[in-house]
Amino acid sequence: MTKQTFLHDRHVELGARMVDFAGWDMPVQYSSILEEHKTVRENAGLFDVSHMGELIVHGKDALAFLNKIVPQNISKLTDTKAVYCQLPNKNGGLIDDLIIYKLEDNKYLIIANASRVDEDLNWMTRNQTGFDVEIENISHKYSLIAVQGPKACNLIRSNGEKDLPPFFSIKQGKLFNIDLWISRTGYTGEDGVELLVKNEFAVTLWDKLLEAGKACGVKPIGLGARDSLRLEAALHLYGNDLNENTTPIEAGLSWSVPKDKTEDYNGKQVIMEQIKNGVTKKLFGFRMLDKSIARHEYEVFSKGEKIGIVTSGGVSPTRGDNIGLAYINAPVLDKLTVGSTIQIMIREKLHDAEIVKLPFVEKHNKG
Amino acid sequence: MDENMLCTKTHEYILEKDGVYEVGITDYAIDQLGDIVFVELPETEAEFAKGEVFATIESVKAASEIYMPISGKVVEINEEIANSPELLNDENYADKWLVKIDSKADQVELADLLDYSDYKEEVE
Repeated sequence: MTKQTFLHDRHVELGARMVDFAGWDMPVQYSSILEEHKTVRENAGLFDVSHMGELIVHGKDALAFLNKIVPQNISKLTDTKAVYCQLPNKNGGLIDDLIIYKLEDNKYLIIANASRVDEDLNWMTRNQTGFDVEIENISHKYSLIAVQGPKACNLIRSNGEKDLPPFFSIKQGKLFNIDLWISRTGYTGEDGVELLVKNEFAVTLWDKLLEAGKACGVKPIGLGARDSLRLEAALHLYGNDLNENTTPIEAGLSWSVPKDKTEDYNGKQVIMEQIKNGVTKKLFGFRMLDKSIARHEYEVFSKGEKIGIVTSGGVSPTRGDNIGLAYINAPVLDKLTVGSTIQIMIREKLHDAEIVKLPFVEKHNKG
Repeated sequence: MDENMLCTKTHEYILEKDGVYEVGITDYAIDQLGDIVFVELPETEAEFAKGEVFATIESVKAASEIYMPISGKVVEINEEIANSPELLNDENYADKWLVKIDSKADQVELADLLDYSDYKEEVE
């Protein structure tokens, strides 16, 4: 039985094509993925991301607990600030990637991937022994609506919340007189917010945002454009670019892993060893040199030998070419630099591609 | 869509015109695919058996293989579509065939194809 968000009827009324995503019946597109993509880059779009998981970690040992389960230094997180985190297993492979917010001392909010909430809870519970901490899954009580694009913040400002939190921060606020949490985060590379609202107000909030946003071109956006937007911004997708056999270092997330964290955490030994001695595979960005399109799980070649695998690939509507992310194995990975040519096997033919710098499209979300 | 088209259950059609068959995908298939961004067509002179993959159409979402509804030899490819695949999504554009084939298909080969009206009933 597929699950439905509180906005499900709205999507159907808006003419969305619905697909199963991680057990949820979600809108993949309302009109056209390309048009929706453009709407977000030029104006702003509304995304129903209520399928995502929300967990509250609280208790006297909340900080120590989080420091044990993520490589990031949660001690440095001040009230209302957020940090992009990973949830590694003992080998450094990723159970999920997360955003952790510090709400107040001893109380943190975690946003998790829809497909991984159960795994995350299992893992956290297994790691909970000895910590005075409670993990509460509030996913079924809250809806999450993302408003993303250059006009997103003004839409929020002009409808009740004049002072937006800075980039990667959260605050409680009111929009259209509805109480909610406003987080300055997103998954598009654009400026914008994510609104965490009690389920019973989700439909009203959605309707009012669409109505108020009409004048500046705000439209509903499906998961199709969400994927092409995040790929252009080189934001990882769990299940494609991250899984239990990829570490943060292999995934190119070294920037997010502190080198000086003193606390021990799951996978620390492997992760630190990789920072010091290098990795045996690494995620690279590439662009196709012809019109062909690389897709998830296509093989990568160099000089006739298989050197890796595509984890995400598709069209870049903003750039006008086709792009992708691929894990490249050692020893070839050490020889690749921006401009190096690799080849992607597409329907039994090799197509040239070129390594490019990430992100594929410049981000506009530093607040 | 032309009422004389014969369709497959995998959403291709053939339409006989001037002694050759136009081969393409149905309007229903185009709608289901969404934004079409790449079309890979065979070379002229290429020969295909009924049911063989002869083209690939890529939408933003995925790549889809297109099957030959009847056996035949490609005599012409639609260069317009190959160069501007987004024309397939353009409601005002009429020439959406992918290839023209010379076919000696007999009644046996044609037997499992659906009249357009039956096809429409099937997909609706």
